[in-house]
Amino acid sequence: MSNAVRLSRGTLSFLVFVLLLASRPTPGFCADQLQTILSRGELLWGADAEGGAPYVYPDPQKPEQLVGFEFDLANALAAHLGVKAKMVQNQWDQLLPALDRGNFDVILNGLEITDDNRQHAAMSRPYYIYAQQIVTRTDTAGPSNLDGLKGKTVGVLASSGAQRLLQRFGGVDVKSYPGNVESFLDLKARRIDVVVLDLPIALYYAKPDPALKFSGEPFSPGYYGIAVRKEDVTLLAAINNALEQFIRDGTLERIYRRHGLWDERQAALANYQPDTVVQRKSISTLREWPRYLPLLLRGAVTTVELSLLGMALAVVIGMVVVLARLYGPAPVRWLAQAYVEVVRGTPLLIQLFLIYYGLPQIGLRLNAFLAGILGLGLNYAASEAENYRAGIQSIPKGQTEAALALGMTRGQILRRIVLPQALRVVIPPVTNDFIAMFKDSSIVSVITMVELTKVYGELATSTYDYIGLGLMTAGIYFALSYPASIFAGRLEKRLAYDRR
Amino acid sequence: MIVVEKLVKSYNTNRVLHGVDHSQRRGEAVVLIGPSGCGKSTFLRCLNQLEIADAGRITIGDVTVVGGGPPRSAEERERQRCLRLRAGMVFQSFNLFPHLTVLQNISEAPRVVKGLSRSQAEAAAGVLLAKVGLENKADAYPAQLSGGQQQRVAIARALAMEPEVMLFDEPTSALDPELRDEVLRVMRQLAEEGMTMIVVTHEMQFARDMADMILFFEGGRVLECGSPEQIFTAPIHERTREFLRSATTR
Repeated sequence: MSNAVRLSRGTLSFLVFVLLLASRPTPGFCADQLQTILSRGELLWGADAEGGAPYVYPDPQKPEQLVGFEFDLANALAAHLGVKAKMVQNQWDQLLPALDRGNFDVILNGLEITDDNRQHAAMSRPYYIYAQQIVTRTDTAGPSNLDGLKGKTVGVLASSGAQRLLQRFGGVDVKSYPGNVESFLDLKARRIDVVVLDLPIALYYAKPDPALKFSGEPFSPGYYGIAVRKEDVTLLAAINNALEQFIRDGTLERIYRRHGLWDERQAALANYQPDTVVQRKSISTLREWPRYLPLLLRGAVTTVELSLLGMALAVVIGMVVVLARLYGPAPVRWLAQAYVEVVRGTPLLIQLFLIYYGLPQIGLRLNAFLAGILGLGLNYAASEAENYRAGIQSIPKGQTEAALALGMTRGQILRRIVLPQALRVVIPPVTNDFIAMFKDSSIVSVITMVELTKVYGELATSTYDYIGLGLMTAGIYFALSYPASIFAGRLEKRLAYDRR
Repeated sequence: MIVVEKLVKSYNTNRVLHGVDHSQRRGEAVVLIGPSGCGKSTFLRCLNQLEIADAGRITIGDVTVVGGGPPRSAEERERQRCLRLRAGMVFQSFNLFPHLTVLQNISEAPRVVKGLSRSQAEAAAGVLLAKVGLENKADAYPAQLSGGQQQRVAIARALAMEPEVMLFDEPTSALDPELRDEVLRVMRQLAEEGMTMIVVTHEMQFARDMADMILFFEGGRVLECGSPEQIFTAPIHERTREFLRSATTR
């Protein structure tokens, strides 16, 4: 953080400084967070309940009610402190930054005790010992240990222990998913070979599913701990105290047994000895840009491919739709209009989910790249169709009449008189959409595409340099989209036939 | 050459043509006059099928189209297009194609519709441009021309399809007075060369000088028709007399 300030000069450093001030949460200055919790009467704990079973998740029978072993643990912890527990929903791979921002007091959500995580937060003594489990389809003889994963396509939860493990291991095509459900959907759709994930998740999601099976024994055990901000020393001590008591008096065992998660491994919880953390320097990615920029640029290549192909598809389909809407017979006209209304009136995210996870259920399996292009293309086609319609309808009726009077057919008039004139009218809005798609293409990261924004997110969560990486990423987006506006401006001028 | 029988046209409940009859021989120039909203423009637009008559028959040369609605078969559509090809149309607002040069404006339809080669079409276009006095504007775009020049290009464009009849729909109404003459001059020349023409106009001098026959339209009917001599000096109807008085003193 201080590196970034020292690095920059003049207005830039001032801007960064202001950004830092603005992003610095007030709780950071508070001396005793435990006191704050006690006077507030609430322990705010950050977790992700979306696909969060069996940790914390909405009760399938009563969706307004949360359940899960961490939900029970949080309540026990709060009761121990004499307050109430309140969960704060936060996307899982962004829990640490959110803790730092002061959105909640602790993270209690399957966060592994690793050196990486201990760079960013103080971790309590472990409350659960997990291990990695390989899950495959029932009809395949999958690999049963880590070595067997070489050369396979493996689904993992984004930023999870499994992802770090496999990336360090190498030789594995790792696909990361934002939640737990999606990886199993893709496994069943045969887009990936296996899923590797924490045993508790596997127990809840994969065990009851007849299409899936556990392959081999759990490996690579690790600890879940509760994270607090580093300066909240008294809070950490209170939590460690509570956990120690829960281990001793059997509270933890009772909770885990209730959720079917108790195993002999957990006996080791009582003997935990923390090892010392190797203090690592904070990273300024701006200073070390030769290392980070190529990674971002590799993501940018995917972004460019996605938006170029997506836009090409949108431009062509949009033309078909607008011709159908303006010149087709009645039923075709209605269909085209319905297409525009439905696509425009529903979120791109839902459309992508339908294409990527929904289509395989009716037998059409597309890889993430094709699904992304199709989703972006179909979505923007509606917008392009409207752009074209506005352009075509802006051409005066007299043009068509003059051409009719000269004996041209409807098709000839459209091709030679109306469309060439409409082209110039639609260049600005279509360019605008093209640039918008550059940025919108980041949404396909939800279907495992690793493009520029996704790379940014992954690097930022591991380096914590949101500003340096953010400036680089924004710079790349701008460097890509600005030439597009320049090109469009030139094209528009070239087609300006009404100059005097 | 041109025979129109019992032409009827309504917009919703508003009847604008009440069974108009008209016939005209080859080489004749006919001028339609009358107050605005009397149906003369609609009559002209029906002739080349920009409006479809509700009833009646239109014959130009060897093509006959019967009113009653838009063409329903490929054959009817083709007949409609043939009728259009017999007639060239010049519009009040020129309607040149702004994305094409003057030369392209004129040569586009001969190439696309008649299938002429580019060089043939452009050579013919060059001759027509010279005829309307704009041979040096071949590569200009419409926006670079004055209104009068644009209308002369529009006339050349219509002539390029070698129509048997030229229809002029208030060709000088959108022009400043000083630009009207250059357009009227071209029209006079055409009439003198024996072009069959129907002209809707408020230019009484032109009507007087050039018309072989004048039709006075009133309320969707031809109230009176005759030679310029007769219409201007001894109109039968009081309405004609009133109209001419106001039109010539304007």
